[in-house]
Amino acid sequence: MVPPEYYLLLSAAVFCIGLFGVLTRKNALYFLMSVELMLNAANINLIAFSLFWGNMTGQTFALFVIALAAAEVAIGIGIILVLYRNFGTVSVTDATTMRW
Amino acid sequence: MDPTVVTTAALQSQLPEWTALGPVIVLGLTGLLLLTIDAIWPKRNANTTYAIVSAAGAIIALGITVWYLVAGTGQETHGGAITLFSEAIVVDGMALFFTAIFTSVAALVIVASHDYLKGHENSAEFYSLLMFATTGMALMAVSNSLVTVFVSLEMASLPSYALVGFLKKDRGSVEASLKYFLIGALSSAVFLFGISLIYAVTGSLLLTEISAQFADGGVAGFAGVAGIGVLMIAGGFAYKTASVPFHFWAPEAYEGAPAPVSAFLSSASKAAGFVVAFRVFAEAFMPLLEVTPAIDWALAFAVLAVLTMVVGNFAAATQENVKRMLAYSSIGHAGYALIGLAALTAGGPHNGDVMGAAMAHLLIYGFMNTGAFLFIAMVEYWGVGRTFEDYAGLSQKAPLACVAMAVFMFSLAGLPVFGGFFSKYALFASAVSAGFWWLAAVGAVTSALSLYYYSRVVKAIWIEEPNGNLDVIESKPTGLYAAIIFAAVATVLLLPGFPIALETAEAAASALFA
Repeated sequence: MVPPEYYLLLSAAVFCIGLFGVLTRKNALYFLMSVELMLNAANINLIAFSLFWGNMTGQTFALFVIALAAAEVAIGIGIILVLYRNFGTVSVTDATTMRW
Repeated sequence: MDPTVVTTAALQSQLPEWTALGPVIVLGLTGLLLLTIDAIWPKRNANTTYAIVSAAGAIIALGITVWYLVAGTGQETHGGAITLFSEAIVVDGMALFFTAIFTSVAALVIVASHDYLKGHENSAEFYSLLMFATTGMALMAVSNSLVTVFVSLEMASLPSYALVGFLKKDRGSVEASLKYFLIGALSSAVFLFGISLIYAVTGSLLLTEISAQFADGGVAGFAGVAGIGVLMIAGGFAYKTASVPFHFWAPEAYEGAPAPVSAFLSSASKAAGFVVAFRVFAEAFMPLLEVTPAIDWALAFAVLAVLTMVVGNFAAATQENVKRMLAYSSIGHAGYALIGLAALTAGGPHNGDVMGAAMAHLLIYGFMNTGAFLFIAMVEYWGVGRTFEDYAGLSQKAPLACVAMAVFMFSLAGLPVFGGFFSKYALFASAVSAGFWWLAAVGAVTSALSLYYYSRVVKAIWIEEPNGNLDVIESKPTGLYAAIIFAAVATVLLLPGFPIALETAEAAASALFA
């Protein structure tokens, strides 16, 4: 069996790739994809350690997470659509009517 | 105990156990009912019907919650917490206390939205999203497993994103919604990764089992993983409660959103973040404070509390826009409530007092902050501007609402004659007795600063002369007026009622540490 540390490293790497995408990409759709990577990094952990601990909790929760991620994308795409209609762009840095 | 209480208690104890979830079920069904009505009779101007249905749902849920609180459901005096669904759900004093906050705020916001939504399309969707968000929050209050915590947190967040962007042709509203969503999606991913790390270390997601695992074997060999997990989970809560370092969304979202939605998010959503944070940290992560190597999350919260109080209050003092000022002030208030987590110590005798005081503060804050944002909603409804200058002389047009606004402002600042004073006093006093005098000191100093910017509003509406832009005020929105006056009455009534609120909160919080 692959030692659990390897799974932790893999998931941390996927999480960091996602975080890098979130921080560097300006396109809102890329942002959504990067967040998906971060959520799936957590799923890797949940499933790997479900096997490690010998219970089904983690695997079941991973299914819940997949469903929630889909819901989040649905509402995200909706928001990006109205963003495009109002600002004519899907860049997250162009919508600046209010100052930070 | 007087006879009526005995009868209601007896009546409640005869109900089946699942009815303990009554408030959540009523809220969820109301949301579905609204969508059904809209689907079957799609009328364009049924705003009033939807408002009545959703207000009725929120008030029934509030009634059930208060009844359970009085009857002692799930509390120490009546057999302790009720657990459902293999302990994933727990109904106890804390859950009921917070559900009472969410449902009262929701009821106030619904009544106020009736006027605000006149002339808007899709009002059924607005009210049902509001009900679904409240359902999610009520579910957050009863979550006893990291699964239900995460699912209910998303259930509360997803409708909120849509509510913030409800004015879909208004650029400010859309931009606010985008920023709220981006930071929300990011922080929920961080939060979930934290949960997965905790699962990796303990092999369970139930709070009680996590706690037992930590107390039993410590974090042997996995201290780093557990520590990062706890920090990431804390980050998720910082987002939901609009605390530093995840507070950036709050000023944008509150400023751009329709004002009733800002009221809802800054009061109910913040309290919802706190109830899960209280439960997760007090129930699951308490042993981490004493195992070796210890993971001192209380210290992390102490740092966050100080930063949040300072950042929120100083930023609020520099604002020209009243709504944005209130947004920053609500960040400052998150800092005060964070003291409820920061001043916890392993086995500390004052833990229940500190957390109870934070809960009581969130209750009073729920009314005064909702009221203040609804006043902004009324000014927006009239189309008067948004800055302090635009508010000048409003008292000549709407004296009663301006009295209420003065009550909210002074209560938020914590002046001695209003409810906000007692909750802050109880909070700081309990922090001092728990040995965290420096947290109380920072709180007291920043409260003094907050008096400056709150009194600017009062000065503008009561002392300054109107500068000619108040002629646009024609109508008197009844619903908004009623909600504002009711919030003011509640803020004032919580002055004599504060001992009861504090006692209930402390009993509920102490039960977590028992």
